[in-house]
Amino acid sequence: MEPASSRAEQLRSRIAKAEAELRELRSQLSRVEAQEKEEEASGLDSPWKWPLQPHEYERYARQLILPHVGVAGQVRLKSAAVLVIGAGGLGCPAAAYLAGAGVGVLGLVDGDVVEASNLHRQVAHSHTKIGMKKVDSLADYCTNLNPHTSCVRHATHLTPENAADIVSKYDVVLDCTDHPTSRYLISDACVLLQKPLVSASALRTDGQLIVLNNPPAPSGTKDGGPCYRCVFPRPPPPDSVQSCGEGGILGPVVGVMGVLQALEALKLVAAGPPSSPEVPAPSLLLFSTAGASTFRSMRMRGRRPDCFACGTSSSLTLGALQSGMVDYVLFCGLRSPVRILAPDERITATAYNNMLTDKPGLAHVLLDVREREHYTIASIPGAVNVPFSTLQRTDTGGKDGARPDWLPESLPADAPIYVVCRVGNDSQLAARKFKEMRLGSDRRFIGDIRGGMEAWKQEVDRTIPFI
Amino acid sequence: MAPKPPKGHFNVLYFASAASFTSMESQPLPAPLPLRKLFDALDEKHPGMKDNILNSSLVTVNLTYVDVPEKDDDPNQVIIEEGDEVAIIPPVSSG
Repeated sequence: MEPASSRAEQLRSRIAKAEAELRELRSQLSRVEAQEKEEEASGLDSPWKWPLQPHEYERYARQLILPHVGVAGQVRLKSAAVLVIGAGGLGCPAAAYLAGAGVGVLGLVDGDVVEASNLHRQVAHSHTKIGMKKVDSLADYCTNLNPHTSCVRHATHLTPENAADIVSKYDVVLDCTDHPTSRYLISDACVLLQKPLVSASALRTDGQLIVLNNPPAPSGTKDGGPCYRCVFPRPPPPDSVQSCGEGGILGPVVGVMGVLQALEALKLVAAGPPSSPEVPAPSLLLFSTAGASTFRSMRMRGRRPDCFACGTSSSLTLGALQSGMVDYVLFCGLRSPVRILAPDERITATAYNNMLTDKPGLAHVLLDVREREHYTIASIPGAVNVPFSTLQRTDTGGKDGARPDWLPESLPADAPIYVVCRVGNDSQLAARKFKEMRLGSDRRFIGDIRGGMEAWKQEVDRTIPFI
Repeated sequence: MAPKPPKGHFNVLYFASAASFTSMESQPLPAPLPLRKLFDALDEKHPGMKDNILNSSLVTVNLTYVDVPEKDDDPNQVIIEEGDEVAIIPPVSSG
């Protein structure tokens, strides 16, 4: 009998094929149904004299009767092209509500594929779509929701080279990406191409939302709204930037922010061109589940006169952007691999494991410096948890030689201290700190397990859950 | 809402990575304090905070954006008064 893995592979490929065929049939049906409705309408005795098609009055009935939309707003939505950059936790709900509301053209940009760890928050994807391109998964979802919205799939990451080409085709842009480099790039492209930008982000239990470059006046003029650089002129240091993979994210938090983005985009499009030349003062909305007040709105200023992108003396041009003269990676900084400890201050996961197998009672301390939540999921037997964030706050100044709580008093002065973390960066910083704190005598080994828990999983215990 | 600051103090609210860095949601500091001295005062309480968090953060006083003056002779000098609410808002980029 064939091994289960190869049978599973065959089944997966047969299911994928059948699903692709189904998708194609469904989208054909949607198009034919739309045609059918139009034929019905044209088959009426008297000519059709209303601004929307019959099915549109039915589909959009609940929003058509709102003063913010109305027939004029619905017609504007239908003729609008909206770009959603990022088909993840923000992009999924944002795109779904935009499609549902009847945006005419919905552009989707993403270069990634669906993974299982996306599904707790990226609501348009599903278990059966793991491995599929995110733009295809989201476009299929939106087309099923509303076949009258035409989804354009840009299966790529936004780059300085392709940004102008993609962004220029749309009226409003939503930044649903996950990194400082893309945030600055999208903002610059929107300033140069004069597109309003609805920007949102989320991490852990916090979210931010701001409508930028609104109104999208030419750069250098004061009539326009501030851009991302006006709000955050300096990128955060690369080592302080956390992704959802590293910091974690609660599904509804990013969902709320994505839904709010759709709302702001709908308001912008449905309202049409501003009736008064007055520039509305923008506000930054903060969402925080941890604090006592969930929403806070901060009054912002207009454009910064000295802004690199939209300021009066800005020299940023589309040509400069496309030719790569603005190095976003350099601007935001690269996270360099930590190389603090010398090779003889580090041991491999295998060596540590062998050492304990040979001498099970060996006096030593194994300190796991991952955050408590990581440690609680799974740890090396005997490891003591002191989170790195706690260590960072421990003041070393003037307290040299003081014994920290995690170091047992009974431990011999030359008993080694091993530090382990997730992938072997924080552990080096922690080991260095302990040396600076002069923990124990010069004879004591203080070092880390190279590669951290990731290496432990690869080399020693393949069953251990690693996040 | 964050607890009311004690007499003679203002409250600093920490958002996103500022909250993770300090392990606090808010903290009272003695008022009055010139805005240009805010970062140094916070860095003293939380060593490394200036470089890691504050320099790239947005600051508001009573829900309104403020520019933190970099020089003592900057004409735009704001004094943080007793009872004010200051917020440290670092950029969140993931999503």
